Amino acid sequence: MEKWKFQGNQGLKSSAVSVRGVFNVLMQSISKEKEVVHLCRVDPTDNPLFSADPVAAHAVSTAAHSGNFNGYPPTFGLPQARRAIAEYLSRDLPNKLSAEDVYVTVGATQAIEIILPSVFATPGANILLPRPGFPQYETRAALCGLEVRHFDLLPNSSWEVDIDSLEALADDKTMAMVLISPSNPCGNVFTYQHLKRVAETARKLGIFVISDEVYAHIAFGSNPFVPMGVFSSIVPVITLGSISKRWILPGWRFGWIATCDPHGIFQKTGIAANIESYMEITNDPPTFMQAAIPEILERTNDEFYSKNLDITREAANALYERFKEIPSLICPHKPDGAMAVMVQINLSQIEGIADDVDFCVKLAKEESLLILPGVIVGLKNWLRVSFGLERSAIEEGLNRLKAFCLRHAKMSQQISA
Amino acid sequence: MEKWKFQGNQGLKSSAVSVRGVFNVLMQSISKEKEVVRLCRVDPTDNPLFSADPVAAHAVSTAAHSGNFNCYPPTFGLPQARRAIAEYLSRDLPNKLSAEDIYVTDGATQAIDIILPVFATPGANILLPRPGYPQYETRAALCGLEVRHFDLLPNSSWEVDIDSLEALADDKTVAMVLISPSNPCGNVFTYQHLKRVAETARKLGIFVISDEVYAHIAFGSNPFVPMGVFSSIAPVITLGSISKRWILPGWRFGWIATCDPHGIFQKTGIAANIESYMEITSDPPTFMQAAIPEILERINDEFYSKNLDITREAANALYERFKEIPSLICPHKPDGAMAVMVQINLSQIEGIADDVDFCVKLAKEESLLILPGVIVGLKNWLRVSFGLERSAIEEGLSRLKAFCLRHAKMSQQISA
Repeated sequence: MEKWKFQGNQGLKSSAVSVRGVFNVLMQSISKEKEVVHLCRVDPTDNPLFSADPVAAHAVSTAAHSGNFNGYPPTFGLPQARRAIAEYLSRDLPNKLSAEDVYVTVGATQAIEIILPSVFATPGANILLPRPGFPQYETRAALCGLEVRHFDLLPNSSWEVDIDSLEALADDKTMAMVLISPSNPCGNVFTYQHLKRVAETARKLGIFVISDEVYAHIAFGSNPFVPMGVFSSIVPVITLGSISKRWILPGWRFGWIATCDPHGIFQKTGIAANIESYMEITNDPPTFMQAAIPEILERTNDEFYSKNLDITREAANALYERFKEIPSLICPHKPDGAMAVMVQINLSQIEGIADDVDFCVKLAKEESLLILPGVIVGLKNWLRVSFGLERSAIEEGLNRLKAFCLRHAKMSQQISA
Repeated sequence: MEKWKFQGNQGLKSSAVSVRGVFNVLMQSISKEKEVVRLCRVDPTDNPLFSADPVAAHAVSTAAHSGNFNCYPPTFGLPQARRAIAEYLSRDLPNKLSAEDIYVTDGATQAIDIILPVFATPGANILLPRPGYPQYETRAALCGLEVRHFDLLPNSSWEVDIDSLEALADDKTVAMVLISPSNPCGNVFTYQHLKRVAETARKLGIFVISDEVYAHIAFGSNPFVPMGVFSSIAPVITLGSISKRWILPGWRFGWIATCDPHGIFQKTGIAANIESYMEITSDPPTFMQAAIPEILERINDEFYSKNLDITREAANALYERFKEIPSLICPHKPDGAMAVMVQINLSQIEGIADDVDFCVKLAKEESLLILPGVIVGLKNWLRVSFGLERSAIEEGLSRLKAFCLRHAKMSQQISA
C-alpha cells in the first residue's frame, strides 16, 4: 500500500467540531414518530408567515437580465451598494456614514471571517466575547490564533453586560470586544444608557467595539433598537449587518462591515488598511446581487417591516407565556428582540437527565422536538429556544416540551403538578 | 490623546501587498491621454463579443422569484447543484463523480481559501508552479503553509519541470498545484504529460490540486484533459468555476471536486477536514445554486464553440503581432486559457530597469496596461491577456510596438 504524506489539519477540526458534534448527536437522535418541530434554528424562512418582499426578487432578476453585472465586482463592493448601505445605516446615526465606510460581504458570516484575522492576529492579542454568545466568533478566533476571553451577560438584569467582569478581563493585549445587539441567543434589546456605558468602558480600556447587528430593528418590546454607531464619537465601532433577518433573505448571503469612526482612529491605527488588504484576497457577493441592493434597501417599506415584527412579537409572547407553565424551566427575561431566548433548566426538579445535552437528546428522541443545548452558546444547562416559527408550531412545540418535563419531573414535583 | 491598544495585523499585509502594491503603482501611472487599453485582466466580460447565455439569467431569476430558495443553503451545497456539477464533470472522466464528491464555493477564489488551510499541518509545504497565480502564495502564507516553486519550462510548451518538482519534495510536502489549462502561460498540457505528473505525484506520496478554472478553454491542437482522468494514479482535487467558460465571473460560483476512486481522502482525513471547514465558511446564494442545474445542462455546444472561436482569433492575432517586436519573445503560441507570457529582452532595450518599470512607463506613455511578470513569479516577463476583442488587441499591440521601438537600443533602432 502506498504511503501518502498528507493528512487533515487536526487543529482545524477541534474548534468547529464541538458545536457541530453536539448538533450531529441531536440530529441522529430525532425520532420520526411525530412531525419534527424545530425550535433550534434562527432561519426566518422557517416561518411560513414570513415571506420576502417581492421587491428583492424583482431587483435581483432585473440586474441579472441586464447583463451589465456579469463582470468581477470591485474589491470593496459595487459603489451603488456601498452608498445605499451607508445611507440606510445613516438614517439612525448622528455621524453619517459614507460609501467608503462600507465593505460588502458574503453574509455576516464572512464579515466575521474578515474582521477577526484582518484586525487581530497580532501575537498574544485577545478579544472579549459575550457569554452566552454566537459560537462562530470562538471558532474563527481559534483559527486565527486570537485568544478569547468571555464576559458575562447577566440573566437577572435583562441580559445586560457585566461591566465589572468586562473590565477585569481586559489587559494590555485586549484589542476589542464583541456585542451582539439585539442579542442572539438571549433575545434582549439593550437600552441607550447601557450601550453608552459599554462604549465608555471600551474607551477607558482603549479597545473598540464590534457590534454584531444582524438582528437590527428586530425589537418588538419597549426598548427601541439603538445602533452602537450612535456612540462612535466615544469609541470607534465596527458594525456587522446583513439582509438575512429583517428582509427574510438568509439564503442570499449578503452582509456588510461598516466602520463608524468619526475621529478616524481606524485609519490612524492601520485597522482600515488591514480590512482593505484582507478584502483584496477574499471572495465577494455576486455583482448582480450587489446591484440589486439599493432597490431592496430603498423600496422595501415600513409596512413589510412592521408586519413581520408583529408576527415575531406574537410568537415570542406565546412562547414566554407557555414557559410559565413549566416549573422546571426558568425564563429570566421576556424576549423583546432577535429570534431566540435563553431558558435555564432547573435540574433539581428533574430526574434521569444529566445535563442540557442529555435533555435535548432525549427530547429529540421522545418528542421529535429540537432545541439547542445551551453549552453550544456558552451556558451549560440552559437551552436556546427559537421563536422564529408560526404560532401554531410554537404551541405544539411547547406542548411537547411541557409533557417531556412533566414526564421527567422528580416524583415530588409530579405529585404537586 | 487617548491610547488605543489595537493595530492592524502586519503579517497579513505583507503577502497581499506586493501584488496589490505593484498593481496600484501601475494604476497611478496611467495616462488618460488616449483611451486605456487593458491587456492585464482576465475578466472575459471585458470582451464585448462575449455575452453570457440568456439561460443563466433566466434560471437565476426563476429561482429568485419562486421564493423557495431564500433559506440558508445546506453546508456543502444544494443537492441538485452538487449533482449537476458531478454529472457535468463526469462527462469527461472515466471514474464518475457523485454529488457527495462536490462542494460548492463562492467562486474558485473561495475554493482555494478552503482547500489550503485544510491540509496545512505544522511544517507542511506545498509545491506551486512558477509562473503561477498569486492567490495561492498569499493564501498559503496566511495559513502557515510553506511554499516551494517548481518551474514551468518556456521552451517545452510550459510543461512542468519534473526534475525540479522531484527535487523540491520532501517528507513534509503534502500536495502540488497545477493550473490546467495554464494561467498565465496560455498552454494546454498533453495527456501524456499530465499522466507523467500524476505518476510523479504518486511516487512522491502527494496529491494534485488541479485548478481547472479554464477547463475547455483549449483552442489549439491539444484537447483539454481533466486531471481527474488520472485519479486512480494519484488522488486529485479539482477546482472549477462558471467564471470563464460561461462568462459569469461576477456570479462568484465555483466548486471543489474530489476525484478519488480509491477513497484516499477519506482514509487520510482530508475529506472530513474539508467538510469541517465548510461548516463555518460562507456560501453562494441558495437561489443561485438552484439555477446551476439549468445552466450546466441547457447551455449548448454552440455557445461554447462560438466563444472559443473568438478567443482563438484574439490569441492568434496577438501572437502574430508579437513576432513584429524583436525585444519581446513569446516562446509558446497560446492555445488555451486567456493570457500568455512574453519575455522582455532587456539587452535590446535601454532606459528601462525591469518589468515593473516597463509596465509603468507603458501605462504612462501609451495608456496601455500589461501585468509585470514579477507578479506571477517571473521577473522581466510580461503577462498579456487576450480576453479582448480583436480590434482592442490590434490597438494594444500597435502601441506596444511603438513603445518598444521608442525604447529600443540605438543599434536596434537603426536596423528596425
